[in-house]
Amino acid sequence: MTAVRAPAASRPVPAGRGPLRAAAQLLRLELRHNAMLWMLPVAIGLFWFTTYRKAMAMPPLWYPRAATLHGGTLLAFAFPVAGAAAWMGSRDARRRTTDLVTTTAQPRWVHLLVTWTATTCWAIVGYLGCVAILYGVTARQASWGGPLWWPVAVGAASLSALSAAGLAAGTLAPSRFTAPLVAVGAFFALALSTQPIQGSQSYWQISPVVSGPWDDGFDPGVATFYRYLPDLSIAQLMFLAGLTIAILGILALPNGRSGRWLRRPATVITTAGLLAAGTAVALAGTGKLDAHGMIAIPALHDAANDRPLRYTPVCSRTAIPVCLNPAYTSYLPATAAALTPVLNEIAGLPGAPARISQAAATYRQDAGNSISVGMAGPSLSGTPPVFRMLLPFQLPGPTMTTSEFAAAVRSTAGVDIVADVIGDGPGATPAQRAVAAALRTSAGLPEEVLRSAPTRQRPNGAIVPLPAPVRSAARRFAALPASARHTWLVRHLAALRAGRITLAQLP
Amino acid sequence: MNVEMTGLTRRFGRTMAVAGVDLHAGPGVFGLLGPNGAGKTSLLRMMATAIPPTSGTLRLLGHDPGSYGPRREIRRRLGYLPQNLGYYPGFTLAESVEYFALLKEVPAARIPAAVAAAVERVALGGRAKTKLRALSGGMLRRAGIAQAIVNEPELLLLDEPTAGLDPEQRVAFRALLRDLGQRATVVVSTHLVEDVGAACTRVGLMDQGRIVFHGTPEDLAARGEGYGSGDAPLERGYSAVLAGARS
Repeated sequence: MTAVRAPAASRPVPAGRGPLRAAAQLLRLELRHNAMLWMLPVAIGLFWFTTYRKAMAMPPLWYPRAATLHGGTLLAFAFPVAGAAAWMGSRDARRRTTDLVTTTAQPRWVHLLVTWTATTCWAIVGYLGCVAILYGVTARQASWGGPLWWPVAVGAASLSALSAAGLAAGTLAPSRFTAPLVAVGAFFALALSTQPIQGSQSYWQISPVVSGPWDDGFDPGVATFYRYLPDLSIAQLMFLAGLTIAILGILALPNGRSGRWLRRPATVITTAGLLAAGTAVALAGTGKLDAHGMIAIPALHDAANDRPLRYTPVCSRTAIPVCLNPAYTSYLPATAAALTPVLNEIAGLPGAPARISQAAATYRQDAGNSISVGMAGPSLSGTPPVFRMLLPFQLPGPTMTTSEFAAAVRSTAGVDIVADVIGDGPGATPAQRAVAAALRTSAGLPEEVLRSAPTRQRPNGAIVPLPAPVRSAARRFAALPASARHTWLVRHLAALRAGRITLAQLP
Repeated sequence: MNVEMTGLTRRFGRTMAVAGVDLHAGPGVFGLLGPNGAGKTSLLRMMATAIPPTSGTLRLLGHDPGSYGPRREIRRRLGYLPQNLGYYPGFTLAESVEYFALLKEVPAARIPAAVAAAVERVALGGRAKTKLRALSGGMLRRAGIAQAIVNEPELLLLDEPTAGLDPEQRVAFRALLRDLGQRATVVVSTHLVEDVGAACTRVGLMDQGRIVFHGTPEDLAARGEGYGSGDAPLERGYSAVLAGARS
């Protein structure tokens, strides 16, 4: 059947030129009309409500703030980013523009890529804004150290992956319900991804909300004495980049979204992305809690990161200087004030420490997700002797007020300093116990702190009351004037420590 | 020939929407008439490269749309207004037309002028900065026509372009069609025979997936002489051809 037979029009063809410029113009339009722009206030509001306030309640140390920012902000952004991306992905189906867009010269995949870029750009702009606020405030509060960028990079890569996943869901299953379902799904997927983690050798550590040993909390001791280990972050970045590439590649595979010239490289890219993601998961499974509280992955580990950081401690002007890592400068007055009564009692005694120095905590993986945090080696060592202590913040536990912190310092370091100087420990003589109890009382500490050995029923041990003769001798010794106590101790401390002083010989 | 199709079919499941159409068309306005469900939209969607034919051969602007490279070349030179026109309500009219100009790979430097010209041609110059959600149904239809012509297409496919237009706009649109038909092949699918009479140089009548008539509007009107059903000569011709095809 023939209709009209006439020569076809011959005009210059408006061939595509300057694809980059055209892509930039498309991106400008997509940025202006992207749903993520409208979701930013939601994401930033969630960040403020769930992350910023929590981070600000933490000590002004970079690692806990960065870890809080990392996990919290990601969860705050997951739902808006995935939802907005899914909304944008389903736009053509919802707006019935699929035919219009499909019949244009630009491959549909390029169009989707521009939409993804715009969504991701807004998400990352919002995310970096939150990072800037939190890091800016922390920079003004922190006394030492600097921002940690690896967790920030993981967060940004996570948003890219969430955006890609949302866009793919919206494109492949377009409906008005896709966006809310994807938003809720993304939140729960992230939140639940940490549940299967058991110990430090878990494949699930690849979850982007994990920045260190899971269930250990945001330990302030990390990244102050030793560098932040980027091993896990590198694996996570590899996983997220692979995932993003694979998802974007998959979008180019269906016939009609691109030509064969694009589908072949898309297949290669998708395969490479999946391989990278799989490799990253395998690497995360080889992770191991290192002695400094971070996850080390042997294949990605740089031994240079195991060297302790060099720093000049900040010291108090007390009878015996109390020296802390400069990151903890703000805690020096409270620490020194808490220890001053004890230090006044022992200053000048033979064997008394020349300095009280903050030490790095050491970490050990126990069964499941439990972790032991402590201090390696004896607390009193060296010539001249130095007493090494951990601040309460370096141990797992709840956030403390200043008065709680001071009380914790007195009841841990204060008691230990007296015990180390007098020799009050397992196997101590009654005289040693009595003198230690007297010094504790004089310094405002509890008289009875001796703990029994841990048992299965009482893993932390228990307070064992002082025998009556010991208590009596302790109260007698404590009642002496401070100078008399000090003079007696200067003369007899060596004998007391050697166990050659009896209760009766105490003044 | 800008449009060459031989034995073209399109099947949706058990339904044969287009059942062996042969058609050749060069520059000019080609009107595609037919009752609901005749297969006009499916034929136009195949010509727009939105869906592939089930069988038969199709060449558009001298290229085979079955291969990606030639299909992309066709799409650069194609304008398409679907029957169910979708749009992005948050975009302004100018942004919407610019968006499709970019997707059609109109050279970036030429886009501002092309957008302005397309918007002017559909008499919406004063509404360029208005968001699409604020436009009336008729204005949206004209906005759709603007995006279809922004790349100065050599093959323009318009599915029910005058639906929703007021009489004044329809008259103006027919003038636009005649102008576009001077240089390009314009295929207009419509129910309105007066559009065909006023703007088309050739006309095809589809029924049950087949073209049952082709010729000039005058030929179609002549088929209706002596036939009682219809108020105007073209309507009588339309009814007579359909009745003949179905008998």
